[in-house]
Amino acid sequence: MQKKGNTVQTGTDKKTEKTVVKGLSFLGVNIDSNMVSVDVKDNKIIRIRPFHYDWKYDVEPWSIEARGKTFKAGTKALIPPFTLAYKNRVNSPNRVLYPLKRVDWDPNGERNPQNRGISKYERISWDEATDIIAAEIRRIIDKYGPTAILTQADGHAETKVVHAPHGCCCRLLDLLGGFTMQSRNPDSWEGWYWGAKHVWGNEPLGKAAYQSNIVPDMAEHTQMMLYPGCDPETTTWGWGGQTVSQLCYWFSELGIKQVYICPDLNYGAAVHADKWIPILPNTDAALYLGIAYYWIEKGTYDKEYVDTHVVGFDKFKAYVMGDEDGIPKTPKWASEKTGIPSRIIKALARAWASMPTSTAHANGGGLIRGPYATENARLEVCLLGMQGLGKPGRHMWSTIEWGMMGDETPPHKFGKSIPIPRRKRYPNLDPASRGPSLINPECPQIIPKDKFHQAILEHSAENPMTWYGTVHCRELTENQFVKYQYPEPGCSEIHMIWTDSPSLMTCWNDSNYIAKAFQSPKIEFILAQHPWLENDCLFADIILPVATKFELDDIGVDNLTAEFGAVFLDPKCVEPKGESLSDYEVVCAIAEKLGLLEELTQGKTVEDWIKVGFDASGIEDVISWDEFQEKGHYVIGHDPDWYKYEVALRSFAEDPENNPLTTPTGKLEFYSQRLAEHFPDDEERPPIPKWVEKGESHDERLSGDRAKKYPYLVVSNHPRWRVHSQHDDMQWLREIVTCKMIGPDGYAYQTIWINPKDAEKHGIRNGDVVEAFNERGSVLVGAYVTERIMPGVVSIDHGARYDPIVPGCLDRGGAINTITPRNTTSKNATGMVSQGFLVDIKRADLDALRREYPEAFSRPYDRGSGLMRERVIKD
Amino acid sequence: MKVLLIDINKCNGCYNCQIACKDEHVGNDWSPIAKPQPDTGHFWMKVTDIVQGSVPKVRVRYMHDICQHCDDAPCIKACKSNAVYKREDGIVIIDPNKCTGNRNCVDACPYKTIYFNFDLNIAQKCTMCAHLLDEGWKEPRCVDACPTGALRFGEEEELKELIADAEILFPEYGARPRVYYKGLPNKYFVAGSVYDPDDDEVLEGATITLTNQQTGATSTIVTDLFGDFWFERQEPGVYQLKMEIDGYIPLIINDIEVTKDINVGDFELRKGR
Repeated sequence: MQKKGNTVQTGTDKKTEKTVVKGLSFLGVNIDSNMVSVDVKDNKIIRIRPFHYDWKYDVEPWSIEARGKTFKAGTKALIPPFTLAYKNRVNSPNRVLYPLKRVDWDPNGERNPQNRGISKYERISWDEATDIIAAEIRRIIDKYGPTAILTQADGHAETKVVHAPHGCCCRLLDLLGGFTMQSRNPDSWEGWYWGAKHVWGNEPLGKAAYQSNIVPDMAEHTQMMLYPGCDPETTTWGWGGQTVSQLCYWFSELGIKQVYICPDLNYGAAVHADKWIPILPNTDAALYLGIAYYWIEKGTYDKEYVDTHVVGFDKFKAYVMGDEDGIPKTPKWASEKTGIPSRIIKALARAWASMPTSTAHANGGGLIRGPYATENARLEVCLLGMQGLGKPGRHMWSTIEWGMMGDETPPHKFGKSIPIPRRKRYPNLDPASRGPSLINPECPQIIPKDKFHQAILEHSAENPMTWYGTVHCRELTENQFVKYQYPEPGCSEIHMIWTDSPSLMTCWNDSNYIAKAFQSPKIEFILAQHPWLENDCLFADIILPVATKFELDDIGVDNLTAEFGAVFLDPKCVEPKGESLSDYEVVCAIAEKLGLLEELTQGKTVEDWIKVGFDASGIEDVISWDEFQEKGHYVIGHDPDWYKYEVALRSFAEDPENNPLTTPTGKLEFYSQRLAEHFPDDEERPPIPKWVEKGESHDERLSGDRAKKYPYLVVSNHPRWRVHSQHDDMQWLREIVTCKMIGPDGYAYQTIWINPKDAEKHGIRNGDVVEAFNERGSVLVGAYVTERIMPGVVSIDHGARYDPIVPGCLDRGGAINTITPRNTTSKNATGMVSQGFLVDIKRADLDALRREYPEAFSRPYDRGSGLMRERVIKD
Repeated sequence: MKVLLIDINKCNGCYNCQIACKDEHVGNDWSPIAKPQPDTGHFWMKVTDIVQGSVPKVRVRYMHDICQHCDDAPCIKACKSNAVYKREDGIVIIDPNKCTGNRNCVDACPYKTIYFNFDLNIAQKCTMCAHLLDEGWKEPRCVDACPTGALRFGEEEELKELIADAEILFPEYGARPRVYYKGLPNKYFVAGSVYDPDDDEVLEGATITLTNQQTGATSTIVTDLFGDFWFERQEPGVYQLKMEIDGYIPLIINDIEVTKDINVGDFELRKGR
């Protein structure tokens, strides 16, 4: 079928059997994006290509006008490379093809937990596997109660609905009396959530959750855009495509000065920056304090706004100017902390005060996931407040997750989340989801994901673990004052883990310690179900093969793509690999053995659930089920009245008394009475945001004694060529120079960016294998010697597949999270720390390592995609 | 006659073009246009990161190497098996059925964009996805997958205005390519900054003059609010840099060799006449 204009290659070409429309994003939880057309023939994916929205519908793209120029959205999906190359992932030699059992795990005898991560696997039948699993579930519940089973009800994965992972077992376990939920922390926006919320609310995220129509406003009024630790060319890809890239080019065209403040010349800075200000990782709080000092000293902040919109400015000012602690936070003081020359700090402060300035964020980056990142985030909001936050051109722009929670972000009255022209509707398929419900207030016991290791290894009923917040990463601020406990009275310790998103090892904190938790004799049974034999799967006792979304029928909704929304059938393209089943079908197979199949399915087939989704989607009134099935998708355009919605925070800026924030005072709280009341002695997150050099939780600054031994700060961004742990096996991405560095042994090592000056000090040349290490362990990485990183800092993207040489000590895959700090953001902020920590580096002696660990260095390895299943399967 | 325009100024380095090519050609047999590309190692559309300058004045440009579909193609002349031919639409094809694997074309291509497939014993390269164009597609896969509009494909006549100020790669080879470029990394930036060390302030508004010592060509710019100056797209050569601002002693640096993008550094200016 050919259509007008530029809309080519939409339709069935004669060599292909059929073309189907799918979403291919990696948020994982019901809401998809990155729409593609997939051409399929004879059970083979021929090609995956960007979806053209005008294939079957007449569509009208939105446009914005500013300064005499027009930005017009396109009519094709601007998909990222890992969506385009996804064939690699479906056909990966690392797919799990049939049920596997660890050879030395005997449920009726010796379980050998100490060998998890070491011993190999043997094939078993589905019948045997489900018999064992059903018996273990019964046994564990009988012996300890249902809360002895821990489920991982979160993560990032292929986005599916009926077959969604992220705790697909929760509904079955509910039928058995409940479970313990591994609760999700806001892992990509830790500082905003645990910090900035105390200044400006902005529930539930803490970063710019309400940003209705700010892109048009910035296009018209903003003169400088700051990107502090923000990479708009990376993190946005996984669940929104590449439209933000287009907007950044447009902002340059409009003359908006784009200033990147980050340790690395990230991928956005590489092509968009008018100015790169290298800053030591996780020292943004000091930069902001230096700027605040300069503004107060020169009187160049918006005093009238501060008088009417801010509480606690006097206390803040006293701290900044040194009246409180005798240390004026001058630009020179800030320079020593940040590595930025003081003259640049002053120039930045002058520029910010002299023109409408906004900041942009994309999750991750050096600013938001480090020790005490709360203070970086709080201070940024304070500075925005000192220059009239919400006035024309003065915003915080979140470049990611538009529409993740629909268009509404209750309870705030400015609760519109979409910074560009909003759509007519934001459909919802949650009723069809057979994965977990995201918030499970009924759950009798939780363990925070970032304290999982400590819960298992350090605590028991006699010595319970306590912490503040959070059942889910979308809780309101009040939840941060709720004290939780593990084990809860009446609940059991954990004795079984059931995971369908096994990525703790490469995505969470101090995962060498997590490896030890997996090996604990307390854990009698670990069940993993996953399409790929990667990361935490290597510690499981039974591994079940799961189908990818190309191998099953589902339904999907795209609320995240900027251009258009869509609901689509998400149909099966090829037969499942090996004996794989969908996550939902796996749970059904186990439910059948437990006699609970009928109750679990409620008598409905997958087709029935897809129809349930459609019927409740929010498009059922505009297209019939028959037409939807025939077309395969429905495209949703923008609301023609989009421009009538308020620019976020504009009414607060204009009249704060009648348009309060959700903070207790309704104002910007430079001093948080709530923090003062609940945590009066907390010097790590005090009532006024401060610079925390070190504290009881962390000692990760260059000024500390540890830095003598480990003198480099790590910036560990969300990966450019992966979405967290996903896609590391994609051979066409692994050929890209910034993705993998091929070592002299032919192994593709995770890149480490090292400045030439530092490389020279260590005799490291481009392409050398390097050990990055601290007292928590060591990872092997491949040197990318580049001017894209400032001296004294190394950059290692997180999420590389774990390939243990010695589990818990030494990793060949470059999973940097194995050696990140164990403690949370600060003692009362239960966030994860994965940035801004200390390591040393040295050239690896590969010959010596090979002699010492011959088995690890001789495992089967695919030159294209790397790790393959045979490496852990018994001959 | 088809042309491809590659605007490096618009490329964000997502590598979609390199990957779309693989998605189309790896594991798919499009004979008689092309046989399958090997799983890895071939880059019929090849992206290369070019990191320019030094901290903190650094940029990245993404070079794209692809068969230039030359009108006077050395590969056609070099092939002894008459396997390489030019279509009416200008696209150069290596017929996989006629190729005998002697690799003459691989050696003859001055652009080094022909790859050898050892498993099939044939030479292979970009086909502009002719198998798709012949079925009514308007663009090859790389162009369809490009999110920024950096790649444009079409009839020469239609893209006439866009390619009017574009360059071709290595015109000196005389091969008459059908691929056009904008923003080729063959001219360089000269960047730096000026500041007052006594006041510990950047110097905004300083007049900076860059003079090519060989040609005498001169450009003048004024430093920005960070005291920075960036001279864009300078010809290779030896340059003099003059830095002046009222109330300060001018500073002149001679013999700056520009053979690539260069951050000349941060210069101190002292107060005086």
